[in-house]
Amino acid sequence: MTIDAATLMAYADGELSAEERAEIERALAADPALRAQLETHQKMRVQLGGAYADILDDPVPERLLSAARGPTPQAAEVVDLSARREAKAKWSVREWGAMAASLVGGLVIGLGAMNTQAPLIAVTGDGMSARGTLERALDTQLASDEADAVRIGLSFRTEDGGYCRTFELTERGTSGIACRDADGWDIPMTAAHGAQGDIRMAGASEAVLNVVATMIDGDPLDAEAEAAARDADWRVDSR
Amino acid sequence: MVRESDQLRSEIVALLPRLRRFARALTGQQADADDIVQIAVERALMRLEQFQPGTRLDAWLLTIVRNAWLDEARARQRRAKVFADAELGERVGDGGEASAHAKLEANEVRKAMQTLPEEQREAVALVCVDGLAYREAAEVMGVPIGTLTSRLARGREALQRMLGAEQ
Repeated sequence: MTIDAATLMAYADGELSAEERAEIERALAADPALRAQLETHQKMRVQLGGAYADILDDPVPERLLSAARGPTPQAAEVVDLSARREAKAKWSVREWGAMAASLVGGLVIGLGAMNTQAPLIAVTGDGMSARGTLERALDTQLASDEADAVRIGLSFRTEDGGYCRTFELTERGTSGIACRDADGWDIPMTAAHGAQGDIRMAGASEAVLNVVATMIDGDPLDAEAEAAARDADWRVDSR
Repeated sequence: MVRESDQLRSEIVALLPRLRRFARALTGQQADADDIVQIAVERALMRLEQFQPGTRLDAWLLTIVRNAWLDEARARQRRAKVFADAELGERVGDGGEASAHAKLEANEVRKAMQTLPEEQREAVALVCVDGLAYREAAEVMGVPIGTLTSRLARGREALQRMLGAEQ
């Protein structure tokens, strides 16, 4: 039988069924010219394969690897966070305040969506101030008290004589600084950190402490001074 | 969903050598090939949701590489038609004189590939260089199998003439 060129090529390319292959192989056995044609196809495949084989072993250029990997959201976030943390540590209180103001919209919305209680932090004309549970905790809770929704950290006095306290919203992954003024507790800064992940939490607290360091006058209040200040309702002109 | 796309990304990374080889066979220059692969990878990632799980990622990516190259080749033709034609003419002349000694040299084969018409070169690259089955190669090129095999046959004949491999 005669085997046409297309069929022979398909045979060389491994495209035929077992039955078809058997037929071709019978014809090949009987026809030297057909065998020569097949050899040509096979040689060509070897040559073509060899001509480009090296590229497979080449190291892939970095630009292609990064294009393929793209921004990996989680990894990028971690790197970003630590970088940002370093940057934050150098910020002044005013910059912190500006960032806090920009964060607060999302914070209030988040709090509102998560439960029905009133926001703990509200936006006011010139910044943020404490509300509800947070406001009550800042008024009355001591650092040594069992933390519920709010944990109180340091209490300290600033250079202008007022009191400030650090706090952490335990269920919100948010910490910050609140300073007592005539109207209540003003919040010059907050730092959001992940709800889980000790490293991020430690970082955020550290960021708070860095800001405290720029605000504090003297040492933080000890337990006795903290209790006395609370009992005096955080008034600075009382004695 | 994030995990799925991460998985796809690492599979794409694993396929990069093959994509580079295919692009090299199409473009003839490694620098061009890598540009094409980069464009293709970026396109692929932009439409990752169009990839259908269960189908072959390699064929999908080869298709995107091929289309990226066709876009580029068309743009180049518009920009430099006269120059390209002159160069092609020279190479065809060289191909005829390829010596028996050099015929196995990879360089000669690659040069010969560059003289093929685009449609034949991609058929040869997909089947003989990358090793795709006819059906897969036809899908990448978006043509019926019969069209693929006739382009493949013509491409091979031309290569054999140029490389003096007919005996």
